[in-house]
Amino acid sequence: MIRITSAAHYFQPLADGDSLPSLDDELKPLCRENFRRIDRFIQLALLGSGRCVAGQTLQPDCAIYLGSGLGPIGNNITTQEQLIRDREIPKPFNFINTLGSSAGFYVARNLGLSGQNIFISRRGESTAAVLSAALADLAAGNAHQALVGVVEEATFPLAAHRLRQGLAADMPVAEGSHWLLLQAGGDIGGELQLLRFDEFAGLQDYLTPRWCREDILCCGAEVSAECADILYHSLPDCVLPDPQQAFHDSQAAAWITEFVTSSDGGGNLYLVTGNETRGWALFHCNA
Amino acid sequence: MPGVYVRGMGLSCALGNDVESSVAALSGSVAAPAEVRLEQGAERVCVPFYRMPDHAELTDPARFARILSQVVCAAVAQAGLTYVEVSRLPVFVGSSCFSIGLSELEFETELNYAPEQAIPMPMCGYQDIANMARHAVGCDGETFTYNTACTSSANALLGAARMLQLGWYRHALVIGAELFNRTTLCGFAGLQLVADKLRPFDAGRNGIVLGEGVGAILLSSQPDGAAGLRLVGGASNCDTSSVTTANPDGGTVAAVLHTALRNAGMEPAAIQGIKAHGTATPSGDTAEARGLQKVFPKLPPVTVLKPYLGHTLGACGVIELILFGSALRRRFLPATPGFEIVDPDLGVHPLTRPEPARAGTYLLNYFGFGGNNTVLVLEHGAS
Repeated sequence: MIRITSAAHYFQPLADGDSLPSLDDELKPLCRENFRRIDRFIQLALLGSGRCVAGQTLQPDCAIYLGSGLGPIGNNITTQEQLIRDREIPKPFNFINTLGSSAGFYVARNLGLSGQNIFISRRGESTAAVLSAALADLAAGNAHQALVGVVEEATFPLAAHRLRQGLAADMPVAEGSHWLLLQAGGDIGGELQLLRFDEFAGLQDYLTPRWCREDILCCGAEVSAECADILYHSLPDCVLPDPQQAFHDSQAAAWITEFVTSSDGGGNLYLVTGNETRGWALFHCNA
Repeated sequence: MPGVYVRGMGLSCALGNDVESSVAALSGSVAAPAEVRLEQGAERVCVPFYRMPDHAELTDPARFARILSQVVCAAVAQAGLTYVEVSRLPVFVGSSCFSIGLSELEFETELNYAPEQAIPMPMCGYQDIANMARHAVGCDGETFTYNTACTSSANALLGAARMLQLGWYRHALVIGAELFNRTTLCGFAGLQLVADKLRPFDAGRNGIVLGEGVGAILLSSQPDGAAGLRLVGGASNCDTSSVTTANPDGGTVAAVLHTALRNAGMEPAAIQGIKAHGTATPSGDTAEARGLQKVFPKLPPVTVLKPYLGHTLGACGVIELILFGSALRRRFLPATPGFEIVDPDLGVHPLTRPEPARAGTYLLNYFGFGGNNTVLVLEHGAS
C-alpha cells in the first residue's frame, strides 16, 4: 500500500502587467544553503518540496520524481536569447539549468537525499506520468519513500507565454509547485492507488459502486470531452475541480495537492487519464 | 528483477544508419569527427562533432523526423508485434535536447523575417519526440519523456523495464535521441569541456567530443528467443557534491554500482565486462574509475564506446546499449580507441584491442549533470 504522508503546494495566478513575485523570503527558512545561480524553476521546486517536507527527516535514499509540462522555460528563454538573438555563448549555469533534472539536484542537496532523481514530462499529463513512475518504483521495492513534485513556471510577457502553449489570449495563467511525499507501507496518511483498465466500461464498473457524494473527479488533459462527460453524468453529485482556476500545464497536480491538504479526513479524488486505444489509468487518492 | 527482453533495435549514429553497419564499424578504424563552425557574434566556435552519415544539412528541419521515423520503425518491425500490440505501445524517450534545434531555427527565422513577432522558445518540445515516434509507428500509448542529462535514455530504459515487470504493459518502445543543435554545442564550448579527441581513462584525457544519434529499443516482458539480450537490473542515484560531475572519490558511483548489482541479484564476481561511461573528462573518469575500484577487487574487461561515435548525451543510454549488446551477440568486446597512456591514478585500463565476449552478465555505466548516476545490468545469452 502506498500512502501520501505529506503534501504541500504553491499556486500563484498571474495577470498581465504583473511581475513574478519574489520567492526569496519564503525560500530562506526552507533552504540549508544560499543557493546561487539558480533560476525560477529551481526556486519553485525548492519552495514546494521544502513546504512538503516541512522539517521532517526523510530517508536518505528517498527518491525524487519531478514532473513538468514546460520545464525550466524561463531559463530556456534566457539561454535561447543569449544564443540566437545576442549571438553569445550561453552562460554555463544557464546552460546547465536548461536540464530538467538540475532542479531535482538542488532539491536533493537541500534535503540531504541520495536516491534517484528523475525528471519526466508528458506535457499536460505530466502529473500522471511522474506519479506512475514513482508508484512503479515503490511497488517494485526500488524505492521506499518518494518525493513527487510537479512544477510549472510562467514567464512574462504572458501573451508570449500563452502563445507558446497555444492558449487563448484571455486565458488566466498561473505558476505552481505541487508536491506529495509518498511512503510504501505504514499506516499514516491517505492511500494512493493506480489502477489500469483496458476498457472504458471497466473503469466505469470500478468507479460507480465506490462513488460517494462529493467525491472529486479529475480528467487528464488527454481524456476526450465525451468520455469526461459520460463519467461526470454517471456519478451522482460528482464534484469537478474549479473551472475558473488559472491555468498551468499540470492542473491535476494542483487538484491532488489541494485535495490532500484541505481534506478533513474523508472523501476521494479520482484522476482519470487515457483513451480507448491505450486503455485507462485511474489514480485514486483517499484522504 | 527477473528481467525484460530486447526484442527489437533501430539505430542511426556516426557509425552508420542502421544497427548492422554500426556494429560492424566497431571492429574497424575510427573516423575523425567533422568540425562544426558556429559564428556567435565576435566569437567563432569550432567544435569537433560526430554527425550521422545521412548527408542532409545539419539544420534541415525535416531531418529529425526522418531519422527518428526510420529508427523507431526498424525497432518495432524487428519485434514482430501484432497490429493491436503496436497500437497500444507506450513510448519512453530519453533526450537532453528534444527539439531544441527546431526551436532555435524557428526563433532565428522569425528574428530575420518578422522580428516583431519573434518569441524565444517558440516550441516547448518535451513531447515532440514521443509524438513523432507515435506517428511513425502508428501507436497511441502513454508517453514518458525523461530529461536527466546524459542518463536520460538509460533512466527511460529502467523506467520502462520496471513498468513491464509490474505487468502494466507487455511491450514498450524506448528511444534515445540527440541531434545537432547550437545550444548544446555552444553550451559545452562555454563549459570548456570539449576536446579534439576522446581519450577515455588516458593520462592525457582532456574532454569530450560531442556526437548525435537516435536509437530505439523494443523492450518486452516476453522473450522472442532470438535477440538473446535481457535487461536484468539497474539502479540510479543522485550525487549532490556537484551539479556537473560525480564525486571524485567514487563513493556515489560505487553506491549505484552496488545497488544495481543487488537489484539484479548479482555479485561483482559474476560480471563479465563493463561498458564504462568514459567521457574522458579529467574529473568524470576519475570518479568512475574510483567507483569501479571500490566495487571490483579485480576489474573485469572495461571498454568505452564514445570514441567511435562521440558522446551522444541523453541518447547514449539506448545507443550504447544497442552497440554493446550487438557486439556481445557477435561475441566480441570492442576496443577503446584513444586510450594509449595509462593514468596511474585511475587503475583502469580499457581494452586496446577487441576481445572475445562470453555469454553472461555485463554492466553499462552512465553518469550525467544534475548528479545523475545510472547503471544497467545486461545479460547476454538469454533465451
